[in-house]
Amino acid sequence: MNQIMIGLLLVMAAGMFAHGLWKSRKHHHHYQGIGHKHGGSVLSVDYYAYASHMRKWNATFKVIFSMICLLLCLIFNNIYVSLAVILIMGYMAVVIGGLEFDHYISMMMIPIVFLLFGSAAIAVGFSWDPIGEYNLSVFGLFYIYCSKASLWKAAGLIFKALGAVSALYMMTLTTPLSELIVVLRKAHLPKVIIELMNMIYRYIFIMLDTHSRMKNSAESRLGYVDFRTSCYSFGQVASNLLIVSLKRGTDYYNALESRCYNGDLMFLEEEKPMKKTQVVGAAAVVALLIVIKLGA
Amino acid sequence: MLKKKEKLSILAAALLMIFAVAPVSNAMHVMEGFLPVSHCILWIVICIPFLVIGVLNIKKLLDNNRKTLTILALTGAFVFVLSSLKIPSVTGSCSHMTGTGLGAMLFGPCITSILGIIVLVFQAILLAHGGLTTLGANCFSMAIAGPILSYLIYKALKKANVNKKVTVFLAACLGDLFTYCVTSFELAIAYPSEVGGIGASMVKFLGVFATTQVPLAIIEGVLTVIIVIGLETYAKDELKSLNF
Repeated sequence: MNQIMIGLLLVMAAGMFAHGLWKSRKHHHHYQGIGHKHGGSVLSVDYYAYASHMRKWNATFKVIFSMICLLLCLIFNNIYVSLAVILIMGYMAVVIGGLEFDHYISMMMIPIVFLLFGSAAIAVGFSWDPIGEYNLSVFGLFYIYCSKASLWKAAGLIFKALGAVSALYMMTLTTPLSELIVVLRKAHLPKVIIELMNMIYRYIFIMLDTHSRMKNSAESRLGYVDFRTSCYSFGQVASNLLIVSLKRGTDYYNALESRCYNGDLMFLEEEKPMKKTQVVGAAAVVALLIVIKLGA
Repeated sequence: MLKKKEKLSILAAALLMIFAVAPVSNAMHVMEGFLPVSHCILWIVICIPFLVIGVLNIKKLLDNNRKTLTILALTGAFVFVLSSLKIPSVTGSCSHMTGTGLGAMLFGPCITSILGIIVLVFQAILLAHGGLTTLGANCFSMAIAGPILSYLIYKALKKANVNKKVTVFLAACLGDLFTYCVTSFELAIAYPSEVGGIGASMVKFLGVFATTQVPLAIIEGVLTVIIVIGLETYAKDELKSLNF
């Protein structure tokens, strides 16, 4: 049974890779250099989402699909299902969405520290007696041990978490946050929270811009020359950022009110109809995951 | 003796490897998919009462003065931006502040919990720190437990007339450490040890994450003190309007 599963996954991976190659030959799309520094920007996810080819897809559909895959990955708790989710979601973000593979990998590296530390703590244990398949005595006081079962548990967890992360990325790397907020509004979250989210999203960019200017001017005056000075400059810049924004708060409110703001911020929402092929494809993916679970 | 030395050098090399591949150490967000579904639901349910109180509080604030809305949004954005900035660090790896301790001292724990959960959603989506299914667990440790402790310490020490800088440092630093303990507890009850159960597992998680979290908490305390000094020097009036 295991061989069939591995074979199936390999065939899937090969097909996706071939499609990716074929597509990259046909299009030659390069998104570098449009006001974007590699790894320099704080909000690269936002940039990727706006540049994605999958932005045309219906946002609610993408949210529901990625959440179903995420939950299936968690509930089934099966290494083959996790691998299939990683493959399919990576394929969607990179080949269909047109994100560069290097960028996708660097996104996957973000939670790696937590994953390594967390799974190490699960795989390895401490005990007074030498137990488990592998153990190491520490100064004759106690034993660090590790059993095959705990190693498998940690490995399963790593793949499960990576599957879940890739399902989340499929959504966040293809859908701008403003469209996700619209989905939340349709799900009837309290109005105050939606309003706050919309405003916070817009203020973040103003603040990041202000911050980078303050940081530049501090840096050009040797503000980050050593650890002590950089701590001081960081704190000064941060407190100044809060002061400047608090002072602007009233201005922003006046600007809103002068445009007849009465508690409802309205934004232009593009109509993005679902396509039949997308729905059929999504259903096929969900069916495939269930089949893999039943088969394994 | 030689063998022991060899073992030690291998151990040291392994430790160095871990730090070499550690490009980002964030403020201990439980990553997407790390908790079983039952635990995700449990933590979301635990958070709900706090969030309801927070929403009601914000609604009351807004009914009194609608202008507070922009200020709240700006402070939410501030906490997010603060948590997205690389803080100075000695080792060269890049780490981030939580900023929620500062929020709790400035605006109180109820409002911080609402701003905190919005910031956590934004962090999960825009920075890929944390996740949506682990939102409940992260919200409880970072937006509820940590800020409440920070707030209590701040209020208690302020009443006892302790030096302001010491008060702010302790509130921010201990709030951060408490967040780290609560997260370890969340992980421990999800993955208890085969020998020793939840207690042993908690010790393991505390030990593993101490390498990044303890220095981070101290730096966060220092930075918060510098920020508060800056605020007191230049923005006394604004702070008074926040009842600081």
